[in-house]
Amino acid sequence: MVIKNPREKAGEKQYGVLFDQGKVRRRREWRGVKDTLYDYTRWLYLVSVLGRFVAVPRNVKGMFRYRWMANYLAVMHGMDKFTMGLRDEPLRITHTAMNFVIKDVTKSIKDCFRGDRRIGNDQKFSSRCVLTDENAMTAFMMGFPKVKAILREVPTMFAANIFNQYSTTHYLDVAQEYGLPGDVCPMPEAETGICIDDDLCILGCCAVQVNTTCDGSLMGNGVIAKRLEREYGIPTFQLAAPMRHREDDVQTYAAEDIKKAIAFVEEHTGQKWDWDAYFSCAKRVNDATRRRLAQLEINSSCYPQFFGAVFSLYNDTNYMGNCGRFQDFVKIDAKLAKLAERGYRKKTMVAPEYRHRCVVWGVQPQYCIDMLYWMLQCWGVVPLTDMLSMVNTRMIAEEDTPENRRQAYYDMAWLNENMIMRNRTHGGYKVLVDELWEICRQMNADMVMMWEHMSCKALVGMHGQFEEQARQRGIHLVWVCHDLCDPRVFTRQSIRDQFSNYMRTVMREEPLDPTIEFLPDENAW
Amino acid sequence: MRELKHLTYFENLLQQANNALIVQAKKEGRICVAYPCENVPEPLLNLDRAFSIRLFAPNTGSMDIATYYMTNLLCEPSRALLERAIEGGFNFADCVIAPDGCTMMNRCVENMELLHTMGKGNEKFFHHYMELPLKGDENGIELCKLQCTNHILKPLAENYGIDVSEQSIRKAVEEHNRICRLIRAIGEYRREERPRITGYEFHVLTLATYVCPKYLIADKLEDTLEELKSREAEDKPWRARVLMVGSEVDDSGLIKLIEDCGAYVCADRFCFGSFPGRDPIELNDREDALTQIARHYTMGCQCPRMMNMEKVYGRKQYVNDLAREYKADGIIYEQVKFCDPWAYERLLGSVMLR
Amino acid sequence: MKNIILRVLAKLLLAGLSFFVITFTIYFFNLDMKATSKIEPLLLRHYDRIPRKQYL
Repeated sequence: MVIKNPREKAGEKQYGVLFDQGKVRRRREWRGVKDTLYDYTRWLYLVSVLGRFVAVPRNVKGMFRYRWMANYLAVMHGMDKFTMGLRDEPLRITHTAMNFVIKDVTKSIKDCFRGDRRIGNDQKFSSRCVLTDENAMTAFMMGFPKVKAILREVPTMFAANIFNQYSTTHYLDVAQEYGLPGDVCPMPEAETGICIDDDLCILGCCAVQVNTTCDGSLMGNGVIAKRLEREYGIPTFQLAAPMRHREDDVQTYAAEDIKKAIAFVEEHTGQKWDWDAYFSCAKRVNDATRRRLAQLEINSSCYPQFFGAVFSLYNDTNYMGNCGRFQDFVKIDAKLAKLAERGYRKKTMVAPEYRHRCVVWGVQPQYCIDMLYWMLQCWGVVPLTDMLSMVNTRMIAEEDTPENRRQAYYDMAWLNENMIMRNRTHGGYKVLVDELWEICRQMNADMVMMWEHMSCKALVGMHGQFEEQARQRGIHLVWVCHDLCDPRVFTRQSIRDQFSNYMRTVMREEPLDPTIEFLPDENAW
Repeated sequence: MRELKHLTYFENLLQQANNALIVQAKKEGRICVAYPCENVPEPLLNLDRAFSIRLFAPNTGSMDIATYYMTNLLCEPSRALLERAIEGGFNFADCVIAPDGCTMMNRCVENMELLHTMGKGNEKFFHHYMELPLKGDENGIELCKLQCTNHILKPLAENYGIDVSEQSIRKAVEEHNRICRLIRAIGEYRREERPRITGYEFHVLTLATYVCPKYLIADKLEDTLEELKSREAEDKPWRARVLMVGSEVDDSGLIKLIEDCGAYVCADRFCFGSFPGRDPIELNDREDALTQIARHYTMGCQCPRMMNMEKVYGRKQYVNDLAREYKADGIIYEQVKFCDPWAYERLLGSVMLR
Repeated sequence: MKNIILRVLAKLLLAGLSFFVITFTIYFFNLDMKATSKIEPLLLRHYDRIPRKQYL
């Protein structure tokens, strides 16, 4: 059912004018006086965050040492990608969440440079840092309040590609020069390339890797661990997360490995596991889960508020990088909840009409992160939720009792096994295919936009099943193929074209904003 | 060299998935346990009246239907298996036991299940998925034991009344070892300077031990071993000796192609090859057989999905040792297109061993 | 005294207004990103010149 926006949108209504052939946009969006001023103040805030970062000499030194730092020239541009067409509460929600994520990434770059042997070389600081796989739920660090988990691949690879679509291409080329084929997932491949290219910060007293995402990620870790151990003398631990994570008979295996990971961290940092800290974190994890479920409930209504790539990026940061360890997230969660509730009460909409209610499934391409906002503005398709946000729903034990201490290992293992994305891509077809239809029902969706990451074997291996089962259920399934973080394989426009073709040929619809159906952003950041 | 007496017999067995020996075993009332991955403890699939058949799809032509279900971005072995299953080529199987080893093979078997490709008219038919250890340690051994119990022994006993007792397991290991020792003994001739068996012939024999009921080929393997004792090697010197390392090689033609180019394939380390797949399992009486089998498969596993660094380094050492033992002049790392584990293993292995 | 306060306030207002006009112009016309996009190629050239220990 099409929902028309009864209120006229303030400011610009067509966005094609913002784009030219260049690397950046022609100008920023006019959102009416109130929202433009709000956007401007958030811009000022980010300028201050980045200004404070640049004011530290070792950060400047890092900027001149590491190639991936050049991508952070595009932070503001990246932020603009997330706010296209947004007004009122959704604009504030996006800024609140994304500004916080950016601040978090800035902090992790600062930490990396502080401990890095090549830059800050703060050995005392480094000795209480644990290099933690970016694909890990940092649950096993919940009881180490004095130890820093450094997720060095996040600023190096993951976040960088959000800001600059070409951030990985150099590293992919390096990996392939060394003989890695181009048909593996480009994310671990790029990380392998960064490692080969000697472009990862070197710090920490030990490292913990996980197998959570995929075969490629598991294997890429071997390359990284070899260099860490043999060249830099940083011992690494491989934390195993079972594949069939919904089965009862794998949980003890996973819990035992969590115990080993904790013992490994204790051994190398000299810190003891702190149960008080753990259970405080557990409470915050549960709080984040409750808040996220409430956001999803609002999104299941006619007036979704917190959606799009920022929803998944925020959840990603909240569950994986944070995992209850930082109080700041609680405040942000509360603020986001307040904004979303207000927007819902006011029936705030951000497009002239909502034509289709869409669940976004599969793995999103980092380099086309603004696609979901484009879908909404160009075609009136509302992205209600995405696969990455459909993470843990189970409450974990949060009271410190002897029984709960035993349970805690299982809870940490559960969180780790149910890492964002892999809780769907692994664990059998039920969690990937069957549960999608249930989510569609809960969210009142009539459409699924399927990100088909071409190198993700777990996803494409179910292609035919998705196709047939969607047809049986009368759900519109739009395939949008991409190569995660390599824009040379599928350009942004070729990604958008796939969606537009479906909308024109199958749905027989015309765009709400025809000026953005084709965007000249192939050379853009 | 004079052709091996049973070579054509074995070659013919490899021409179709449902070969004559499977038909014979089924007629004898035996239960066929199909599996797609080398990491499933094989002796446990050969208990009592059960016999194991590794799924393979020889002489594959088009894979259009499987490609529709899994796209052309998944490896060809997984698509070939699905295509064959959809065609009804695996209808002889009474169950499928698949580990969640590599993602593509897992998706292949899941599609087989969802498309109901097997088990028509057999109420006892089942699919079971196993979790495999990711590291070679005691925790992994415990997991392997539990998974074997829940996903092999229990369903076989409950559905088909298979005897899964300690005694039955020990007997199956004995029979398994008989085949392993025969293959090992035959393979030993590859160490010779003028080897009296080609890599191609050896591959045919080894592959047959995975895709045929073992008890029906043991005598012919014994004959072959006997025959080799007096077989004269060819005068023609080989230009080089190579060790083949990598994922699945289901087509012996690949080995033949290499040997036709003048390189002798002196040893193999691939899924369903002789190393480590045909290592005998030495049981003692101090521990139950299941624990010992779990230890054998967990600690001896050379699959690149094993992620702890002892395993990562150990795999390269294993290949290096094999190359030295079999006097290889070079190593060929082969990787099936789209195979993630071997893409990285090939990269790291080839760089480290250089 | 009153004049001084008024003058200070006027100056503050003027400074604030100038700050607003300048930064808002930078913001609205995306001058910040236009400038940094010019820096990127220089940085990339610099990275290419750094000796690296490429190693597996």
